[in-house]
Amino acid sequence: MSSIYYYLAGFLFTLGLLGTIFKKDLISILLCLELMMGGVSLLIILFSRSTGLLDAQLLVFFMIIVSACEVAIGLSLIIALHRKKQTIYTDDIKIITE
Amino acid sequence: MHLNYLANIGRYIPEVILVLLMVGLIILEATYKEDEKNRKYIFIATLVGLVATLGALIANMSGKAEAIFSNSIIIDQFSTLIKMVMVLGTLAAIYLSRFSKDIYESLKTEFAIMAVGILIGGFLLASANNMLTFYLGIETLSILSYVMAALKKNDQRSSEAGLKYALYGGISAGLMLFGMSHIFGVLGTIQFAGVAKMIPTLTSAQLAILMPSFVLLFAGIGYKIASVPFHMWSPDVYEGSPTPVTTFFAIVPKLAGIAALIRITAVFFVVDSPMKIGWIGLLIVISALTMTVGNVTAIGQKSVKRMLAYSSISHAGIMLAGIVVINDVGIRSVVFYGITYLFMTLVAFYITSIVQDKYGNDHFDRFSGLIYRYPFMAVMMAVVMFSLTGLPPLAGFVAKYNIISSLINSKNYALAIVLGLNSVVSAYYYLKIVRLMTLKPQESNEEIEGFGFLNQMVIVSMTVPVFVLGIFWETIMNLAAGAKLFIQ
Repeated sequence: MSSIYYYLAGFLFTLGLLGTIFKKDLISILLCLELMMGGVSLLIILFSRSTGLLDAQLLVFFMIIVSACEVAIGLSLIIALHRKKQTIYTDDIKIITE
Repeated sequence: MHLNYLANIGRYIPEVILVLLMVGLIILEATYKEDEKNRKYIFIATLVGLVATLGALIANMSGKAEAIFSNSIIIDQFSTLIKMVMVLGTLAAIYLSRFSKDIYESLKTEFAIMAVGILIGGFLLASANNMLTFYLGIETLSILSYVMAALKKNDQRSSEAGLKYALYGGISAGLMLFGMSHIFGVLGTIQFAGVAKMIPTLTSAQLAILMPSFVLLFAGIGYKIASVPFHMWSPDVYEGSPTPVTTFFAIVPKLAGIAALIRITAVFFVVDSPMKIGWIGLLIVISALTMTVGNVTAIGQKSVKRMLAYSSISHAGIMLAGIVVINDVGIRSVVFYGITYLFMTLVAFYITSIVQDKYGNDHFDRFSGLIYRYPFMAVMMAVVMFSLTGLPPLAGFVAKYNIISSLINSKNYALAIVLGLNSVVSAYYYLKIVRLMTLKPQESNEEIEGFGFLNQMVIVSMTVPVFVLGIFWETIMNLAAGAKLFIQ
């Protein structure tokens, strides 16, 4: 039974990772980051249940808080950039070059 | 069951002071009007707070090493010494931010607040003893760094730097957690000591899962210390952020990451095991790559800040080479390298920042003929450049010599040769600045306001250790040798 969750967690993580690499707009990239975090959280809870140890579940609580902070900051940075450039596509905002 | 949570607070005073300082600064900031120019009480408060932290750390240094807060944080000589170096770096960066024009006047308090916050994260990371504190340390460092990189909010490049940093950081944190979750899943503990106990007795099936997991764990730290292949963000962020921020990034997060890596390596891989061979092999390859890529890419740069960014990547590679030798000698040489790296980087960034404030950019040409206008400053810059290259009798030479000798003692000849060759490559771009300053005619006769008497004195006082550590290095070496890791 628990192996289903394992595959689900792996699927979510892979989906998120691929999304962060291949997506071109910043909002989607942030969402994919959250997807990655969700996958990992599920994985940790799963392991924590199967081993019966609670300390890793604590880690998940911290992860939820931290990833919420990360997204908040990511969004505010996107807004800061959008004010200057009126775009959220990664291809259009490359200014720093070699 | 009743736990006394505050039983160990006595050993945790430096961090408590920093937290109080951060909160205090936020409250103090609110008492000023928005367009108030001279916020000197904030500067004074930061100074006092950081010096108090330094004092508390010195007091901690003499106490005995112990694990506090249910074994999740370790206070030992090693972490305390690294923390002292980080506090000094923060002090210098905050002083630089006071007169730098690269940070808006109204945001200087914010810089101080975030610098203190990042310092708290660095403290947590340097003394982390389980995966939870380790992760929290990395994230406290990262989240504030993202904002700090984007501090110049009207500048597109700064915002882009912050965003790039945030996205790379998020991905690497995700990878690291994925690795951590598997380590927990296989070994059933998040305590470093618990993991270390299991590592020599792994079956081959467990090894097959754990080897990739440890590589992913390295991704999290490798990103913080900007080692190849996780270095892509570093030059862009260093170039895009304001110069005081770059100075800060080159020191505090990097040293905190190195400290965490030393602790992980020294705790997990004491006994010989297949895991240890894999991890050391990984470190050797990454160290060689980091040095080479950093140095070779630095050659073609036009901006001094970007050049210094690549040079700091290569210095991270050299420190990694010291970590490959996980014994007392290796750790001692890395700590010594960290101390010298602090002073060398600070002087180089101070002078670059002042020149950049005057001319609005930091191309190599802005340095031409500096010796005819500010002979003292040009000599200091030259000294630091020689030291970064690793020429005797300066501190950089002793630091590199120690790492190479510990590599040779442990029979890592190939890495020692790569390190030696890299020093030759780095001479090209470091000495390019010296050549420009001395042999080229000056561009203009303008006065550079940043080189006032006080600032020149500060720069000189930071260059003195580069001389002193190069000649009388035994004292600091003994101090670094006393920085023992406490493993529990």
